[in-house]
Amino acid sequence: MSAGLAEPATGRIALGLTVNGRSLRIEAEPRSHLGDVLRENLNLTGTHLGCEHGVCGACTVLLDGEPARACLTFAGACAGATVTTIEGLDDDPIATALRAAFNREHALQCGYCTPGMLVAARDLVLRLPEADERRIRVGLSGNLCRCTGYAGIVRAVMAVIAERRAQDIRPETGGARALGPVGARIGETVGARPQAARVTENRVAPARAQTPATTFAPAHRFTQVIDLSHPPDAVFALLGDIEAVAACLPGAVLTGRPEPDTVEGGLQVRIGPIAATFRGSARIARDPAARAGSVRGAGSDAGGRSATEGELRYRVEPGPAPGTARVALDVGYTLIGPLAQFGRPGLVRDLAGRIAGDFARAVDARLSGTEAPAPAGLNPLRLLLGLARARLAAWLGRA
Amino acid sequence: MKPNPFAWERPASLAALLDRLATAQGGVKLIAGGQSLGPMLALRLVEPDLILDITGIAELRQARVEAGTLVLGACVTHADIEDGRVPDLTGGALQRVASAIAYRPVRNRGTIGGSLVHADPAADWVSALMALGAEVEIAGPTGRRTLPVERFVTGALEVALGPAEILVAVRVPALPPGAAWGYVKHCAKIGEFAHAIGAVRLEPGAGRGRAVIGAVEGAPVLLADARPLFGGRIGPDFAARFEPGAAEAALIAAGMADPVERHVHVTVLARAVAQAGKLPLSHVPEAA
Repeated sequence: MSAGLAEPATGRIALGLTVNGRSLRIEAEPRSHLGDVLRENLNLTGTHLGCEHGVCGACTVLLDGEPARACLTFAGACAGATVTTIEGLDDDPIATALRAAFNREHALQCGYCTPGMLVAARDLVLRLPEADERRIRVGLSGNLCRCTGYAGIVRAVMAVIAERRAQDIRPETGGARALGPVGARIGETVGARPQAARVTENRVAPARAQTPATTFAPAHRFTQVIDLSHPPDAVFALLGDIEAVAACLPGAVLTGRPEPDTVEGGLQVRIGPIAATFRGSARIARDPAARAGSVRGAGSDAGGRSATEGELRYRVEPGPAPGTARVALDVGYTLIGPLAQFGRPGLVRDLAGRIAGDFARAVDARLSGTEAPAPAGLNPLRLLLGLARARLAAWLGRA
Repeated sequence: MKPNPFAWERPASLAALLDRLATAQGGVKLIAGGQSLGPMLALRLVEPDLILDITGIAELRQARVEAGTLVLGACVTHADIEDGRVPDLTGGALQRVASAIAYRPVRNRGTIGGSLVHADPAADWVSALMALGAEVEIAGPTGRRTLPVERFVTGALEVALGPAEILVAVRVPALPPGAAWGYVKHCAKIGEFAHAIGAVRLEPGAGRGRAVIGAVEGAPVLLADARPLFGGRIGPDFAARFEPGAAEAALIAAGMADPVERHVHVTVLARAVAQAGKLPLSHVPEAA
């Protein structure tokens, strides 16, 4: 059953690694990161996984002798590399001195951060010219410790640096190594049996209609102005035609209208490499006398992991020139899930500006009776951030 | 926090990579150090079918000087610049920027090309390289082209890169003798993405200069002619002539509506100017 180095099981890659001095051949899924390989394949559980997205530092190991995040190093990226984990530092003189100092200074309590902390501390001992408390604190800022308040850790690292400099051991400059990411070898170093090309299936979850809550206090708000080259009444009328609005929003689909004031639909949003498809529903209200309206919507993405709720209020006013209109939008939204973890409110506003531009061009084209120029023809789908979907779900729903 | 499954390939040459990019089916992402893409994969915000690892390509892991311009391959890491493993034509400016990016374990794998292509508005290289007047070199099926950084970064996480193209190098012009450089970022926690960035590259002798206000909502705000920030003239006394009101006006024109945000960004720019003029921070005017 066992395959040679060039022939791993389907969907897996084969790579050679030197781990704590032992040469090994590993098979792993491409999506496995080095932390998983160490823990699951090699039972080296001293490497701890905390956040698994590069923030906490618990998984820090030595790759080709330099500290790196195991969770941000995919298996295929480090074929041929030399890896040293906390287990491989038993006989290392600096790590030995650090362990004694951590013990003496009470530099750990629960110990979860300690393996990564020791690897990072060892790097500081090697590189810092002197026991400078500020530089040590800066150097340890990528390793989160929630027990100690760092006081003991910093004292321990300072003590080891001071001892070594007193013994006239000079810091290393890191001058002599090849350029490029540590752990990454030049050349094609991964043996893989190609998977059957997994062409992107349409990752649209069954519509899990979410109903907007009756009370809503948005976490974020922003305003946006759209200028259109058609009269306010025509624009307001178009905004009342839900099919037309959806047609002007790239990536939008209407799936149902269970009640006159309720719509259901989906929206594919994209910003840079992020793509998400959201499904949800929205309630619509209109005030023709004031040429104003509002849309309250809620939705979730295909996996149901990110969810959003939003409210959009709009008012159509005469534009600066006769026969033009200006639409003032006031958007409030709340987002939870991975997108919220990644997203920053500023990114949403940037996207809002771009979406508004595309939407305005499409509305103008439609009111002029011409086909909308394929919005953002260069990048057909790269438009919106998932965060913006609150608003988009809302626009979608506007009827 | 496990990514969706993807296939992984590691072309050994640029030609093989471009070939693969042109033929691959489904969603394809390039990866260099993976310090920005990794978290997005882990959070399943990005779900490619195929990842092409570009770190096996020797050409992308080189640095050289070409007629007064530093050419850094896309896979040169922040730590390579921090440690001085690449030539320096900027009087240490690149080195200081590199050494304050995220954390050392991230700098050991994160690359200058990857950071630019990811184009997070709060990333250091996006603003710093724009202020330095750098260009990017792009390779594609029809050959190579170069773009100034300000035309490459088109928005938050958006760059002017076609689907079959790759950024191969960053070209940083030398900082001429007598030029002044200031780069300041504001972070609430060390190593996190900046809340505000200010960068200036000024040539008091020639009376010209560039300024960048970064970590804004989209692409950084560039003043390719920074003279309005200094009362219309950039001379040896530029630091004393800095006018916060002019920076404020530029931010209003760029659509930054929140006065608190503008205040933070103008103050950070003022600190960058003071750094360039070697003024103590106590002389930095607070923004209005």
